Amino acid sequence: MGSYDPSFAKEVFENVDFGDEIKMCMQCGVCAASCPLSLQMDHSPRQIFTLIRAGKREEVLGSQAIMLCTSCYTCEVRCPRKIPVIDVMHGLANYALKHDFVPRKDTANFGGKFWDQIYRIGRIDEKDLSRRYFFAEGIIEGIKGLLGFSDIGLRLFLHKRIKPLPERKIKGIISLRKMLDKAEKMRGRGGASV
Amino acid sequence: MKYFLYWGCSLEGSGANYLVSLKPVLEALEIEFEEIEDWNCCGASLSYVGARDLAIKVLNARNLALAETQGSYDIVVPCSSCYIQMLKVSQEIQEDEGLKTQINECLAEGGRIYRGNLKVRHIMDVLYNDVGPDKIKATVVKPLNGLKIAGYVGCQSVRPYGEYDSVEKPKIQDRLLEALGAEPVPFPKKMRCCGSGLFMSEMDNCMRLVADILEDAISHGAKMISTVCPMCAMNLEVYQERINKAFGTEYDIPIVYLTQLMAVTFGMDLKKEAALDYNIIPPESILKTAVG
Repeated sequence: MGSYDPSFAKEVFENVDFGDEIKMCMQCGVCAASCPLSLQMDHSPRQIFTLIRAGKREEVLGSQAIMLCTSCYTCEVRCPRKIPVIDVMHGLANYALKHDFVPRKDTANFGGKFWDQIYRIGRIDEKDLSRRYFFAEGIIEGIKGLLGFSDIGLRLFLHKRIKPLPERKIKGIISLRKMLDKAEKMRGRGGASV
Repeated sequence: MKYFLYWGCSLEGSGANYLVSLKPVLEALEIEFEEIEDWNCCGASLSYVGARDLAIKVLNARNLALAETQGSYDIVVPCSSCYIQMLKVSQEIQEDEGLKTQINECLAEGGRIYRGNLKVRHIMDVLYNDVGPDKIKATVVKPLNGLKIAGYVGCQSVRPYGEYDSVEKPKIQDRLLEALGAEPVPFPKKMRCCGSGLFMSEMDNCMRLVADILEDAISHGAKMISTVCPMCAMNLEVYQERINKAFGTEYDIPIVYLTQLMAVTFGMDLKKEAALDYNIIPPESILKTAVG
């Protein structure tokens, strides 16, 4: 058994959004019991928090769990120590991706394209987001993805649930980008990915 | 009664039946609304992949700032994701001066400022507390005559804040279903997550979640499931055939927006106003039989 290494906990407390909230965790496990996807996670949120304290950097930042959070807020309303568990999970995922860990490749691609589109046009246009997501791994993968999704896409289209117009920027896109750039600069490390 | 209506991106796409039915329903209930001009996306739950928390807050603060320049009405939000994102920021700005200063420093880059004067509310809050079930009942001309409906609440329309309904035992959607003449069926998975924005990229994991919710609603007698969230509606409806293939089930249960049911019971046009033709699993015959 190795001894506890507090340096990773310190790294998380200081650099991860809401990272210092982990200090409040008393390991009760209510988050794990409440999570709809905890059985699919390699570590439950409770385990993630204790692994951080134990200094397991690779295990935490490479954990699938930090990107399997659906943001359902069940853990958060039930946590007796009022830890914003979702914000912590999202903070950890953002930090992991910036440090070259990719806990869930597909969700990283989808989320990345999601933010790119907001930065590029100010809104989400679902059809273009899906297309860009499918082609994130190249043309062959893209065609496979599109074909695999065509049953759903076609039905949505036939039922008027796909916007027919091409994606369009909001009028204030330039000023929105300035605002977002400033925010990322204030938080440090990163910047918008476009 | 006048409000800002911030409907967000999904309601112009996969959740179009929500917006199409919402507008005439609000008019019938004498609710005036104004769009926030040039609004942007709320960032929903996946922006964390590309941005840190402050940028996502700024995204929502810009909408609040735009609205504040336009007027002083409460902002009503029909999409649960937009609701929670915007509510979160508006509350944090009121509670935390330091954060407010930071956010305004960012908004200033684009020539905007938010003073923190607006209130963010979910459409259910307005329908239940400002309009009220009595007025809704009085507007109904074609009641649902005891049709069994599962009022699926999901997550972000009440969690985490519980501003207008209980976070563990919500009841408002059921009260509104009753006002329309339906019989809301109790089912334990009422508040269980459908997978939300993660569905597309984590389909195998999320299909199980939806299958459990559908199974629960159906086994408790529901003939239809109602919702007030575009993500819930999409995930519960669109993937049923895939779920059937994956799990050997035979789900074929219509998923409707509460506002579609309101439009139907208010005697409105089933297509133009209730937008029933937008649904992939058709709810029309069940509803026609119910209203008689």
